[in-house]
Amino acid sequence: MSRQAPIKLIPRNVAALRRGQQSADGARLVPGNPVSTRLESGVGNCFPGLECDLRNLERRFFPFLEVDIQDTVIDVRSVDLAGVQASASNGEICADTVTTYGQISSGLSRGRRWTIRQMRGTFGPLGVQTLVIADLRIPSTGANRLPPDAWTAIRLLTEGTEVQLTLRQGNTTRSLTGNRARYLDDNGALAKMFLPGELTQSLCSPWTHDFRDCGCFYWASNHPDIALPVLLTPPPITPEINAYVPWERKARTVNTLPDPATIDPPVELSYYEINAQWQTLNFVLEGREIVTPYQPGTFTARKFASLAELVTNLRYAAGVELAVIHEYLAAAYSLKVVGVPAAAQADVAAARAELMRIAYGEMRHVRAVNDVLRALDPAAFVPALGVASQVPAPQLGIFRPVVPRPATPEAIEAFIDIEKPSVSVDGLYSRVLATLEDFGSDETQQTVRSIMADGESHFETFNFIQEWLDKHSPADYLTNPNAGVAPANNVLHQKLQQEYVALLQRLFNGYTLGIPAGAADINAARNAMLGTTGLDGAAEAVAAAGFLVAFDRISDARFAPVNHP
Amino acid sequence: MAPIAVIPGDSTAPLFKVFHSAVGQHLLIVPHSRIFDLTHDLNGDGDAQGLPMALLAALADTASGEVPLDHVVEPQPQSISLNVSSSCNLSCSYCYAARGSFQGAQVDPMQWEVARVAIDKLLSGADQKSPITVGFLGGEPFVNRRLIHRAVEYAAEEGRIRGLDVRFSVTTNGTLLHEEDIELLRTHRFAVTVSVDGGEQIQDLRRPSGGIKGSYELLFDATRSLLADPGLAQVAARATVARGEFDLRARFEAVLSIGFREMGFAPLRAAKPDGDALRDEDWPRYLDAIVEIAKSELERVRQGGFIRFSNLAVALKQLHRGASSPYPCGAGGGYFSVAANGDWYACHRAIGSSAFRLGNNEGLELERRREFLATRHVHSQSACRQCWARYLCSGGCHQEASSRTDSSCGFIRGWLEFCLAAYCELSVSRPELFDPGT
Repeated sequence: MSRQAPIKLIPRNVAALRRGQQSADGARLVPGNPVSTRLESGVGNCFPGLECDLRNLERRFFPFLEVDIQDTVIDVRSVDLAGVQASASNGEICADTVTTYGQISSGLSRGRRWTIRQMRGTFGPLGVQTLVIADLRIPSTGANRLPPDAWTAIRLLTEGTEVQLTLRQGNTTRSLTGNRARYLDDNGALAKMFLPGELTQSLCSPWTHDFRDCGCFYWASNHPDIALPVLLTPPPITPEINAYVPWERKARTVNTLPDPATIDPPVELSYYEINAQWQTLNFVLEGREIVTPYQPGTFTARKFASLAELVTNLRYAAGVELAVIHEYLAAAYSLKVVGVPAAAQADVAAARAELMRIAYGEMRHVRAVNDVLRALDPAAFVPALGVASQVPAPQLGIFRPVVPRPATPEAIEAFIDIEKPSVSVDGLYSRVLATLEDFGSDETQQTVRSIMADGESHFETFNFIQEWLDKHSPADYLTNPNAGVAPANNVLHQKLQQEYVALLQRLFNGYTLGIPAGAADINAARNAMLGTTGLDGAAEAVAAAGFLVAFDRISDARFAPVNHP
Repeated sequence: MAPIAVIPGDSTAPLFKVFHSAVGQHLLIVPHSRIFDLTHDLNGDGDAQGLPMALLAALADTASGEVPLDHVVEPQPQSISLNVSSSCNLSCSYCYAARGSFQGAQVDPMQWEVARVAIDKLLSGADQKSPITVGFLGGEPFVNRRLIHRAVEYAAEEGRIRGLDVRFSVTTNGTLLHEEDIELLRTHRFAVTVSVDGGEQIQDLRRPSGGIKGSYELLFDATRSLLADPGLAQVAARATVARGEFDLRARFEAVLSIGFREMGFAPLRAAKPDGDALRDEDWPRYLDAIVEIAKSELERVRQGGFIRFSNLAVALKQLHRGASSPYPCGAGGGYFSVAANGDWYACHRAIGSSAFRLGNNEGLELERRREFLATRHVHSQSACRQCWARYLCSGGCHQEASSRTDSSCGFIRGWLEFCLAAYCELSVSRPELFDPGT
């Protein structure tokens, strides 16, 4: 199947921009997950899960088949005949295979049961095996062990490897050969074969008492096991008001604080009791049970004294974004691409991808801060593209120098510090947001909220990166743990600097013109970052030579370093 | 604003149009006239393969601040024209107003009391935060100059007292302007449209004065001082194009040489027995003629000039802002034309036509107005419902709707396609011409 080129629409006239800049459609304060939430931010597992049930992926492990999996039974539910036909007309499958798919489909439509009796394939660490599905058993231990059940067997199949199925309906037996399907597309999104709702179709629905059959108390994530108790009026001045309590506690008192969750085992409602008095279980938002309509919290951050002070701090904020981009890119490119020991490969690849993703996020922030600056005073607007000389440290009022360095454990620790909620950069934006309530539009406030929400996600991601890399020795994942900046006469380093300066110049022009006039420059800047001939290629070359990806101070006054106010 | 009715569009009507310019491929989202650059090549014009319907539908959605295109709304009148004169010193053969008499419907010039009551009604009813316009038409309005002077002074003073932004407009043949008139135009925010068809020969032929001096000479002499120093007035020339007169380039240059900074053309469409209106075979030639002028203007603009061709300037400005409406003009909505006898018509061209008479100085007739607005909505025009240009052209002038043919609609679409491409090109080469973000 040919891959369709992605469509990119760039707004040209005011009406097109208006559609894309609707504050009603964009960021706004709603209770719930931040805008940067991704699938993996949720709680999904291979039981029913909370946000999604990953077992549903395996229902489409084999091309054009949808199956239902029980312990030692795999039933075919449907056949994607249109897909079969398309594949056949592309010459990807032969006529016999088309016939087999057709027979299965036809049988299913007449109520016949087709099951997968036998499966041959590459079962990950268990190697190439031929399994009779009905024979799978627990326990599964020792050498030459078999997967314990049908779903685990399918889960173990290596993506893209050949799978041979023997299917049976009554006394009729048919074979099919195909490759284990890809569940994600090239962009990391779910493959198109999955229908909307498919990953969540098997979640427990508490109100239909599903959890009873699951042998669990699984609820949607706004009904967690433990939560902060309802704030009484007036709130008692006691630390217990901030101690978690069992959400399903048996004692449904309303005027006193419940017992904390640390009492083991907690006294909880039984299944029957939950059914009988489900309405007494409270909603949970922002970690706390609520019994009255939700009121979003108000900001208490200290406002800047004037518009001028706000602008100065925003210009510094843009500089901080650029500074952390320097640090994050240096760290990302320091991670090995080749020569990573097998045991570390997945972790290092993930760390590099996530570091780059965070750096891209900060690049968007540079644009967003400039947009806010323009909105505050279009006539006086000059793009803010100077790198901060220092960035906020975790301690209030303390700043630290910008230090591009390899992704050492110390570096990751420093990144966690800078993205930590309520301190460092987040603290700066809190004050910006509070001040924008006086000086800015709703749109500028939403822009800053979105930046802050990204910061929370970055903080969480750096914690993950730390967890992944801590399992390995820095020598296993860093190209050169002691990498320093290349000498000034190094041609690779020089090329990198040229690309960087050209990029800033394009951005300066684009930001100066604004949208839509500046769109061409901004897009050109984006394009100039990509590919082996772009900034990315230049950075990879520097890193491959064992040097740090670092950017020299630029003498151009437009990009002069900016000090903290 | 709450709608008084909702007239659904045709669900099968085109939602988008793909078009090309020198800077690439573009997408026009038909509802709300949103223009996007398309970065990957679709397989041929109009092939929707690459564009998911859900995306198109989302882009076509009404955004906040926009009025849904299926709504019939009933705004307060924001502008009126006063048909102050029932006569004219020229006798142009194609005059829709029959020199101001409207085929006998308007015999006498407007009296001050009629004008005053109309202005009072306008000022007290209009949205106080938006500009309010009082226009003067005829016949030749300056035949009744005393009324114009009095009405302008009155409306300006009332506006000042009430804190309103009152503006004025006048359409004149320019031959009767006295220095005192020119001073009036200079000192108020006037949009002045001077009807002039071209150089001396065609002007005198098409717009005969009946006297010793031709209308060209009269106009030349009378407008000289205004063109030299327009003050607050914005002055533009407008020519009527009858069939067989497609050497527009020469007429354009001739009019600009008089001293006008801006000029536009309007084709003669309303069918009259004498046969001067454009016919099917004329429309392609007319399109070629105005595209030729537009191309040379664009070349000038690329080198740093401004656009002198009103048809092009207006189209580009409207495309930039995303003009999109189920009505071709404000007739019966935000705009009314007051006849000399105090009757309020949806449009100045319809004086005397009972279908367009929607009230008088006493007040508007609610039901008649609503019926007019519902009937004239583009979703009610069966010929327009499937057209991609339906919210840009909106069916064209109500008075001329009966003369609509495939050929004349082909002209509209051809001109819009040219302007769409020109807009995309110019917004790249001269972005400062379009005020960003407004």
